[in-house]
Amino acid sequence: MRTPLPFRTLLVANRGEIALRVFRTAARLGVRTVAIHTDLDATAPHVRAADDAVRVGSYLDVDEVVAAAVAVGADAVHPGYGFLSERSAFASALEAAGVTLVGPSAQVMEQMGRKDLARDVAVAAGVPVVPSYALDDDPATFAYPVLVKAAAGGGGKGMRVVRSAAELPEARAAAAREAASAFGDDTLLVEKYVERGRHLEVQVVGDAHGTVLAFGERDCSTQRRHQKVLEEAPAPTIDEATRAEIARAAVALASRVGYVGAGTVELLLDDATGEFYFLEMNTRLQVEHPVTELVHGVDLVELQLHVASGGRLDGPIDGHGPSTPSGHAIEARVYAEDAFGGFLPQAGRADLVRWPSGPGIRVDHALESGQVVSTSYDPMLGKVIAHGPDRESARQALLRALEGTAVTGLTTNTGFLRALVASDEFRDAAIDTAWLDRHELAPPTADEARLFAAWTSAYAVSPAAGAGGDRASHPFQADGWRLAGPSAPVVVELDRPVTVEHARLGVPGTVDDVRVTAVAVDELRPGHEVVLEVDGRRRRAVVDVRAHTVEVVLDGQRHVFTRPDVTADSGPAAGDGSVVAPMPGTVLDVRVAEGQQVTAGELLGVMEAMKMEFALTAPYDGVVTAVDAVAGKQVALGARLFEVTGTDQA
Amino acid sequence: MTQDLRSLVEDLRERLAVARLGGSAAAREKHTARGKMLVRDRVDRLLDPGSAFLELSPLAATGMYGAPGETPVPSAGIVTGIGRISGRECVVVANDATVKGGTYYPVTVKKHLRAQQVAADNSLPCVYLVDSGGAFLPLQDEVFPDREHFGRIFFNQANLSARGIPQVASVMGSCTAGGAYVPAMSDETVIVKEQGTIFLGGPPLVKAATGEVVTAEELGGGDVHARTSGVVDHLAEDDAHALAIVRSIVSTFERPPHRATGSTPWEVREVEEPAEDPETLYDVVPADTRTPYDVREVIRRVVDGSRFQEFKKLYGETLVTGFAHIWGHPVGIVANNGILFSESALKGAHFIELCNQRGIPLVFLQNISGFMVGREYENKGIARDGAKLVTAVACSVVPKFTVVIGGSFGAGNYGMCGRAYDPRFLWMWPNARISVMGGEQAASVLATVAGRPEDEDLKAPIREQYETQGSPYYATARLWDDGVIDPADTRRVLGMGLAAAAHAPIPAPSYGVFRM
Repeated sequence: MRTPLPFRTLLVANRGEIALRVFRTAARLGVRTVAIHTDLDATAPHVRAADDAVRVGSYLDVDEVVAAAVAVGADAVHPGYGFLSERSAFASALEAAGVTLVGPSAQVMEQMGRKDLARDVAVAAGVPVVPSYALDDDPATFAYPVLVKAAAGGGGKGMRVVRSAAELPEARAAAAREAASAFGDDTLLVEKYVERGRHLEVQVVGDAHGTVLAFGERDCSTQRRHQKVLEEAPAPTIDEATRAEIARAAVALASRVGYVGAGTVELLLDDATGEFYFLEMNTRLQVEHPVTELVHGVDLVELQLHVASGGRLDGPIDGHGPSTPSGHAIEARVYAEDAFGGFLPQAGRADLVRWPSGPGIRVDHALESGQVVSTSYDPMLGKVIAHGPDRESARQALLRALEGTAVTGLTTNTGFLRALVASDEFRDAAIDTAWLDRHELAPPTADEARLFAAWTSAYAVSPAAGAGGDRASHPFQADGWRLAGPSAPVVVELDRPVTVEHARLGVPGTVDDVRVTAVAVDELRPGHEVVLEVDGRRRRAVVDVRAHTVEVVLDGQRHVFTRPDVTADSGPAAGDGSVVAPMPGTVLDVRVAEGQQVTAGELLGVMEAMKMEFALTAPYDGVVTAVDAVAGKQVALGARLFEVTGTDQA
Repeated sequence: MTQDLRSLVEDLRERLAVARLGGSAAAREKHTARGKMLVRDRVDRLLDPGSAFLELSPLAATGMYGAPGETPVPSAGIVTGIGRISGRECVVVANDATVKGGTYYPVTVKKHLRAQQVAADNSLPCVYLVDSGGAFLPLQDEVFPDREHFGRIFFNQANLSARGIPQVASVMGSCTAGGAYVPAMSDETVIVKEQGTIFLGGPPLVKAATGEVVTAEELGGGDVHARTSGVVDHLAEDDAHALAIVRSIVSTFERPPHRATGSTPWEVREVEEPAEDPETLYDVVPADTRTPYDVREVIRRVVDGSRFQEFKKLYGETLVTGFAHIWGHPVGIVANNGILFSESALKGAHFIELCNQRGIPLVFLQNISGFMVGREYENKGIARDGAKLVTAVACSVVPKFTVVIGGSFGAGNYGMCGRAYDPRFLWMWPNARISVMGGEQAASVLATVAGRPEDEDLKAPIREQYETQGSPYYATARLWDDGVIDPADTRRVLGMGLAAAAHAPIPAPSYGVFRM
């Protein structure tokens, strides 16, 4: 199949890991690569990886991106996923400009991109669809629960589960609002909601000559609020008959529309009935395509370029046809989010980034040490994918890979992913699409991370950490030396003081009485990679010791320990709740009454003196037990105006 | 004196372990039950994490103030020493309230003043962790009135501050009467809330004097002093917080000149471990001070790379002199290798002049039974040559360090920089002996003077007195030294002393009249 491509220059209308992913294949095939970037991304990895780069105002601006392609003489544009990848207007504009889109035609995109139209295609192709209702039907006749969702787009935006007719109007309004803002189209669908289902999807590739191949299926059931978290291939819970059946259905559907390019047919498998329904078709490369690539031994981007340039799929494909899957692959999406803190998006500088590597491990990412992650773009930082001879070995490899993934400076969901992959439920392939919405994973305890933080802090100040290794440098060095007696332990101030004895490589020591022996300490920039034997068990972490904080990434989870702020002292001591006049002057306002509950810093009143206004605030949480201040009254310096009795003194 | 060095060191370690406990178990329990840290824990937390700490005279008051063989005031109820705080060496003075309420016995005062002397000599900031009931009243005549008594503490604080040597106090318990001046005389002061109190007269005294009934907290608690009186500058939540505040205060001090300019009074090289492990000192030094051995074996186990550049090796051989480095600091070593003769005294005086000329610190390894006696030597004027050595030592301007590694008897103590000659630090090995002469000699002299040279009843108690008083523990109890050390630590403590001394500039040398 490796016939020379007619393309000379490929522009990737995307950023991040997917841009890098496409460049890798293009470069291997001898195609010149062009990146586009916004000002924010001027020095991003994808810009540096490309042969050429063009600045655009927005990755979503069709005119600008097309103009960029024309300006650099690109003969093809790869859209990646997201952004313009499923915009038929973009496909049309490229076509008009004489540039090939690596993807289906505008018309197919239009047809499959709209869920209502795609549904009609599925019905025509004989693929089962989820029972649906017309929006103007009587909501009382619906079999609840139902799902209200946007006709355009995907990714869980504009989706609402509705459990009764009464909830419907509000859900519709909310879904419409989200759909309008996310996709510029507020058309909605209402269909049967499958309570416990598995998300399956079939990878198809079609050529311009009528051949459509299915490259097996993926199971993406581990989702949170319809956002995929873990994806794997092949699907672990279906039998071979179902496997063949869904592949056949996907090929029938794609053939029906004359699909050209890589696409994904998404299906919902009802746990209760074992029936599957067509959900939608994504007319682009999926985020989770690597699991298919690993299992099927194909390069889907290469296939995309191949069919986009008119290549045929009916010959042998590098000796690896879609019929020869090998082993099992699982992908975990690493996001800049605090998974154990309400999944809040995180932004900031990733001081140190360490991605895993090793046999069977693939990492598609675009995050390097020192890079700033903003909230302007998708919070996905990368994907860690493990391939093994069977599901369990792939799962074990993924566990180790996630344990070896470390990002400091920025919180990621890696620890959450690791806990999820380690769970019995995932091991047993018992996680349905709503499992994460029903269950909360327990956050890892900070105990072991604190141990690493303390040990490394003690090590970092010891002579052993100096340039000369374990050599004497100064008689007052931090080796805890005492006159003819046992050396003093190091007390490390973290969120609480931790006592460390003998923080030296290879020397048995203790951290708060837990036996610890350091096996290896490697200098990172910044930080250290530390391997400790903790109570006989070997553990590995990345630790960054700073003046005011210590960061530890252990099992993928980032822990930040903040040392106490010494300067936060001399606050009002409990026992003196008198709020007195700071200056001789006039009381302007009294805001509280006797007996009123107040919190620290709450405004009690205002006075004026020397042409300045002074806010009189509560020294701590408590109850106002006296109000001497009277608005308009002159008061002397030091006169008591209010009295607050602390909550803990009452 | 037949115990070997190892068992002597074991004995030292045991004595130190006991002293480091502080007061009785009950007193410690009562102390910590109030949320207060024990004094050495306070010091550990005050210092930079893991900092080495050169504790001074931890065995002070050994065998004093109680029944024979008892030590009711371990460490004299006060911990003093040098350690690093916020990256710089400081002198720490910390009361131990578990020992007689932290009150000042005569030796407590002496130890506090000695720490201030160390600060003054080496330009080291002082941190006082105050937790003391003030003077020990039953012994007020030995504590209060004299020049080197309680009042001298505040005299020193004022004058150290005047010299730009910062004075910081943290009040972590009571701070009564004269003691109240420690925080008040400090440049910057912290108090622990609902724990530290400062007042000139406590509630009982106030009641006696004026009839006013007042609680300690109302009279001089943290809140009063932080908010109303202004006696303190920072109010801390607890011990740990107070110590953290002190650390942050120290971080604001001006860097000492040698840090600012990157220069010390002498050039400091990279540190090199001795080729001979200091631990092997136990095998080369006979514990019996009467057994001769080559002092170069000691030097080889103390100096960098075991390298010793000897001066006048072939002349006056009973005194070994030469140049070396310890923890990178250059030193001139003067070490006894036998009795002092005229030649050895002259050689020593010459070498000391060299070191002063070149600004090189001096290390005396003292093991001396005295100057040679007898008609021939007296007639040749050994006193004249001994005087030259004593003059050179007395007028030295470079920092001097003395380690008594064996005997310290008679005028040999003077010529080899005994305590009276102001060495920056003086340490003793556990096998050391110190007295004006040997016990046997003293007994003979006194018996002869009494006309009963063979009277054992007369001689035995004299021998016994000298035996007791010549012990290094008798010496260290009275602060004749800065501590009894493990010989294997000689190199380390000298390094610490040198590092401390490197903070202060060296004045130009000048001498008195050498008798020629």
